Amino acid sequence: MIYQAIVFLPLLGALIAGFFGRFIGPRPAELITSGFLVIAAVLSWVAFWQVGIGHATDKITLMRWVSSGELDVSWGIRVDTLTAVMLVVVTTVSALVHIYSIGYMHEDPHRPRFFAYLSLFTFAMLMLVTADNLLQMFFGWEGVGLASYLLIGFWYQKPEANAAAIKAFIVNRVGDFGFSLGMFGVFFIFQTISLDAVFAAAPQHAGKTMGFLGYEVDILTTLCLLLFVGAMGKSAQFLLHTWLPDAMEGPTPVSALIHAATMVTAGVFMVARLSPLFEYAPVALQVVTLVGAVTAFFAATVGLVQNDIKRVIAYSTCSQLGYMFAAIGVGAYSAGIFHLFTHAFFKALLFLGAGSVIHAMHHEQDMRHMGGLRSKIPITWAMMLIGTLALTGVGIPFVAGFAGFHSKDVIVEAAYAGHTPFNYAFWLLVIAAFMTSFYSWRLMFMTFYGRTRADHHTYEHARESPYVMLVPLFVLAAGAIFAGFMFKGLFVGDGYKEFWGKAIFEGPGSHIMHAIHEVPAWVAVSPFLAMLAGFGLSYVYYIQAPWLPEATANAFRPLYLFLLNKWYFDELYDRIFVRPAFAIGNFLWKKGDGAVIDGTIDGTANRVLVTANNVAKLQTGYIYHYAFAMLIGLAALITWFMLGTGGVR
Amino acid sequence: MSALAVYAPLLPELILALGAMALLMLGVFRPEAQEEAGRIMWLAVAVLLASGFAVLQGAGKQQLFDGAFVIDSFGRFMKIVVLVAAAGALVLSFDEMSERKALKFEYPVLVLLAATGMMMMVSANNLISLYLGLELQSLALYVVAAIRRDSTRSSEAGLKYFVLGALSSGMLLYGASLLYGFAGATSFEAIAAAARSPGAGQDLLLVFGLVFLLVGIAFKISAVPFHMWTPDVYEGAPTPVTAFFASAPKVAAMALFIRIVISMFAGVQPQWQQIVVFLAIASMLLGAFAAIRQTNIKRLMAYSSIANMGYALVGLAAGTVEGVQGVLLYMAIYVVMTLGAFAVILAMRRDGTAIEDISELAGLSKTNLPMAFAMAMFMFSLAGIPPLAGFFAKLYVFMAAIKAELYTLAVIGVLASVVGAYYYLRIVKLMFFDEAGQPFEPTLPKERAVQWVAMVLVIAFVLPIISAPLVEAAAAAARTLF
Amino acid sequence: MDIGLGHYLTVAACLFTLGIFGIFLNRKNVIVILMSVELMLLAVNINLVSFSSYLGNLTGQVFALFVLTVAAAEAAIGLAIVVVYFRNRGTIAVEDINMMKG
Repeated sequence: MIYQAIVFLPLLGALIAGFFGRFIGPRPAELITSGFLVIAAVLSWVAFWQVGIGHATDKITLMRWVSSGELDVSWGIRVDTLTAVMLVVVTTVSALVHIYSIGYMHEDPHRPRFFAYLSLFTFAMLMLVTADNLLQMFFGWEGVGLASYLLIGFWYQKPEANAAAIKAFIVNRVGDFGFSLGMFGVFFIFQTISLDAVFAAAPQHAGKTMGFLGYEVDILTTLCLLLFVGAMGKSAQFLLHTWLPDAMEGPTPVSALIHAATMVTAGVFMVARLSPLFEYAPVALQVVTLVGAVTAFFAATVGLVQNDIKRVIAYSTCSQLGYMFAAIGVGAYSAGIFHLFTHAFFKALLFLGAGSVIHAMHHEQDMRHMGGLRSKIPITWAMMLIGTLALTGVGIPFVAGFAGFHSKDVIVEAAYAGHTPFNYAFWLLVIAAFMTSFYSWRLMFMTFYGRTRADHHTYEHARESPYVMLVPLFVLAAGAIFAGFMFKGLFVGDGYKEFWGKAIFEGPGSHIMHAIHEVPAWVAVSPFLAMLAGFGLSYVYYIQAPWLPEATANAFRPLYLFLLNKWYFDELYDRIFVRPAFAIGNFLWKKGDGAVIDGTIDGTANRVLVTANNVAKLQTGYIYHYAFAMLIGLAALITWFMLGTGGVR
Repeated sequence: MSALAVYAPLLPELILALGAMALLMLGVFRPEAQEEAGRIMWLAVAVLLASGFAVLQGAGKQQLFDGAFVIDSFGRFMKIVVLVAAAGALVLSFDEMSERKALKFEYPVLVLLAATGMMMMVSANNLISLYLGLELQSLALYVVAAIRRDSTRSSEAGLKYFVLGALSSGMLLYGASLLYGFAGATSFEAIAAAARSPGAGQDLLLVFGLVFLLVGIAFKISAVPFHMWTPDVYEGAPTPVTAFFASAPKVAAMALFIRIVISMFAGVQPQWQQIVVFLAIASMLLGAFAAIRQTNIKRLMAYSSIANMGYALVGLAAGTVEGVQGVLLYMAIYVVMTLGAFAVILAMRRDGTAIEDISELAGLSKTNLPMAFAMAMFMFSLAGIPPLAGFFAKLYVFMAAIKAELYTLAVIGVLASVVGAYYYLRIVKLMFFDEAGQPFEPTLPKERAVQWVAMVLVIAFVLPIISAPLVEAAAAAARTLF
Repeated sequence: MDIGLGHYLTVAACLFTLGIFGIFLNRKNVIVILMSVELMLLAVNINLVSFSSYLGNLTGQVFALFVLTVAAAEAAIGLAIVVVYFRNRGTIAVEDINMMKG
């Protein structure tokens, strides 16, 4: 019964707040949704205890859903360790974000709607993580996308928020396209989309090929790559990452819940959930590693120079997700999920802390206008410090440390033990760790230290946030300090197989989790050294010699601009998708409509608009043109058959 | 008496035809009939429902008129959808008829006649009955499109529809004459038997006849490139008429399409499959792209219906039981979504004038949240976002296409639905995130009723209690054709 | 030279093509379009009757009678719509029927 309660309490809260919020008023709506979420969170920890320690795996069928021929899908709850871990992460962070939002959003007139969206999102996310078949997972997948669209665009008065919401939705549709193709493919190959049946049949299909779009391809590799495209979209991996930084236009609690702790990790969860498929598709796993490592590196470089406090953390999230994928790609699923688990705590902490800073600074987000805030908001400072220590992975090598210390180090070791060509994954991750440390401390120093660059009025009026916002920070801080140390033994320790049970599958030849313990000592301490170096450099740059950043930027101007403009990805997409469309349009219609492109939405969307314009031009309104179009259609069909392609010979 | 009893299966059509004539007499001979147009509308709805009830009484498969008219569970399914669509569209026209006197009492009569034609199309099993049913429907629709005699746009819509419709009838008829020459008979069974003989696929008469016939029907379901009339007629016709155009005739023509290709051209499946794939791809892509720049909501719905016919054809292209089942479900769900959306469009009124500009929907969630919510549900459903009914509709047809190994078609379909989602979501965004304009007049009870019923159906389809009977019925209906 | 089925079909095809071309080449008068439509239907009738005679069964001729009947109804409705349109716009030039587009 507790599983039903965990899944449906948020839905109930969303319905009450959404439909009756207007009648019962904002405060009861806040209390009801938050209260339900707290109950769900407590129940989740109970479930975690039962499943993780007591091994009480289970499957609950709620109702039959679709039945058409061989397709028979029911709505169920799959209870195993992986589900339990995700339940804990989702409900805990969501409950804390609900409570935090009571304080953060207290001036907003549409609070019931906001809380309804938050709870609705949580429900969709729970659907996703408890899915027993691919269709249910896809429902949750679309549901979180929709809720995220609503929440990013919650401040619809802001045009940037609107554009960001649409951009997020469209980029995610690209990923969803991959997911749905993969799902169709799984159904086609296995005649079922129930996870158990698919997993049972996966070994028989290993190495077999099929025809796809005219090519002979390996079945499982193709399916896994398609599904991974979905994961890339949701988890903002390299090439499909452009929406995540823009999504920071939404309210900060939303960023903490959706764009740090839960939704963006859905891709990682999905790949781990489908480990029995991926284990038989080694090529797909190599792609996962490559994408993960490159994302970790790429996002970290961009994070070095950003000035918006939330965007720095957003790129950091992107980078940390890359770590998780890299771990999964080399077969260390448990390490990836472990990092997902700890990351949820300290990244939500950083976001909510940043929200507290922004709250204190009257919605100022540019770090160039902050500084010296440590004396003004000491509690927030302390919390951000804990988050930074956890993110950069501070600890005593071979002993104990903050959450990120344990989880990130395991991943770096796994990347080394995974034997990628030239050890590229290992080196990229270590360099990324160095940069992570640099930009995290840069954020701390620019925000809290030195002399203030804020205008006098704002600085004088900077106040510590109310306790309703600070208490969630305390809880998350506790998680950021202890989660790694306490759960390391369970997640990736010697008894990890017992803990995970059947939830995570490792191929017969996979020894990665043992190999981790046998890496050389210099590998084990390398992330620690990278972290120290990053801290030192950051200290020199922003405390000792504040003129250095400027000088460095001027000395390496092209590199600086390259990073500041996020590797010119937005411009690149504009070039790739938008310009050729114009060229074709000019060629065909002799006149391009330059005003159409306003650059607010994504390049893809713009290309669609151009096509749309040209299609509309065909509709001239003249009857004889319409009749002519019909005749062309008729003639085309007749010609098709006459030329022999159609059957008449 | 026993001679008459043979015609008992014809009862639904008889009810419609006699009802139409009776209402015409009522309207002509009662001097105050024009004042009571609303009442005549309710009578027409009653006739439609009575006919639907009569349809439900039937069972098994029967043939009448020497096999020219066939009654089977496929026909029953489609007839119910047609009748429900026609009744829904009539209810939506109540305000135009009784309050604003914009529509004459002839309108419900013509709708009944068109519905009679549609029932004949659904049941046609002979080229002659096919042609007569189609023309009965079309002639009534030409008049209905131009029913606002004093409106330039309405009469232009009627004229365009008539000219292009006559052209398409001509093509269809030419194809029918070639098929008659090929098989020496006009009944579907005889043509099917002749088409099954070896080497029939190379016969010019058959292939030309097939192409011309399908082109004629493609015009009726407005498949690209035979769709050009659709946006103009949808825009020009009075909105309740557009609601009718978008729903019932599409269902009837699709039923005709299915019966022809599945039972008449079973022997030349590779040939018709190519045509259907071509129509499906062209319709999905054009519908998705052309809709984006529209500013008039009725034109938008026209392109939306073009795209939706493309998706339905994806299921037909599979040519399997699952495919036909998918098309049947698709049409049923499409009718509900379309009528719901038009119920919202009709409620867009300010100072007694209808508003058709999409931008006027801005901020609707602040002035009329229930209506905005209902519209959002229809848009999400049309965009195919789970767990709404439209998602399942697409799921069934795409699944069928993939099982028939039509990967390219399925991939293009999913791509087109990605593009299509854009313009549906634009409307949602307008309603929920943009500055509110002037509020609309209060929604009338009839419009609200249609909105809410459609919305509940669209949302509740995910529950097996609602969807299972429909899915079962569609499966049973699809099986009777094979 | 014997006149066979092929000749009749050729004539019908020519007439049908003329009808179609009449619809989309004519830019002046809608009445010409109505005449073109009639031409198409008559071409079909020639087809039906010649097939009927060639095959020796009567179905084609019955079909042709139905087509004639429907064509009459169609012409009546078409003319009625043209009249309505003329009253509104004062013109029935095909080029002017262009209020709605895009």
